[in-house]
Amino acid sequence: MKIKQVNTAFLVTLGVSIVVFVYLVFLGYDDIKTLKDIVKIIASILFPIPLLFFVRFLLIEHFLPKNSDAYKRKHQKPATLLLILTVIVCVFSMQFLEWISGQKLEDHLIFAHLINSTSISSYVLNYVLYNNLRVNGILSGVLLSLAIHVFFLTA
Amino acid sequence: MNPIMQPPKPRLNANKRELLFTFQSIIVTSLLAFTAIAFFFHFNLRIEKGIKVIFAPFLSVVPLLFILSILRDLRKGFKEGNYSKDEILKFCLITLGITALFTGITYLLSKIDALEILLAAIMAILSIVFFSRSKIKDILGMSIITGIAEGVIVYMIFLF
Repeated sequence: MKIKQVNTAFLVTLGVSIVVFVYLVFLGYDDIKTLKDIVKIIASILFPIPLLFFVRFLLIEHFLPKNSDAYKRKHQKPATLLLILTVIVCVFSMQFLEWISGQKLEDHLIFAHLINSTSISSYVLNYVLYNNLRVNGILSGVLLSLAIHVFFLTA
Repeated sequence: MNPIMQPPKPRLNANKRELLFTFQSIIVTSLLAFTAIAFFFHFNLRIEKGIKVIFAPFLSVVPLLFILSILRDLRKGFKEGNYSKDEILKFCLITLGITALFTGITYLLSKIDALEILLAAIMAILSIVFFSRSKIKDILGMSIITGIAEGVIVYMIFLF
């Protein structure tokens, strides 16, 4: 049965993503000064995990990827459209929010971590368990736009 | 019990749900412990009376054990099949409500300025968790403990 492997993969990806995040947090940022910052960052990294368990609990069926050619062909186009649409919408909304509030995302680490960990965890969950191509498009769009925003659009 | 080294036999969906439920309760327990430690260090809590610390847990643990021993199971167990759209919506709303409630409760916890009272409050919440863990073995219990976990996290991110 593949179910055991899939369950193991679920746990392993959760564990790996936590380790990677903790590593990144303590590697890259010098502005962690107090206990409060650490608590906030840990909390923002842990945020998606209870939600993921809840989603998994609700949507227990359809968890084995149906990787058939017909399924892929059917969803190729809408998934690509959703990807492009999400990238555009996310980049513009982030620019708009920064312009409106006059603050940079980089100054608010907590929010960056929150968006990042939530979308990466749901991306991994979707990729491993549900393989819903449309959702894959949306989540890839969110991650791409976050990367574009942080790398290219913030001076 | 390491689930990766010795995978149990999750043949049925109900078993898988039970496993997820167990993990969720472990997460909530560790989050609550984390909350207690964070508050303890951040607010420099002091112990007012040593004897109170010893007796604080009994206040909620003893009623819990009593209730657990006299009450029959409230639910039959986990469902095998899928949940309908209405049920999913309903329980997501319940989860949201409990999240908001526990954000408030964690805020109240942060106002407590003595360690023994904080411990007693945390133990009381843990008792609720274990109660729903052992008696409300159902999607309602899952909603409750997910709400508690998210409430604690939301408080830590946005209000702490």
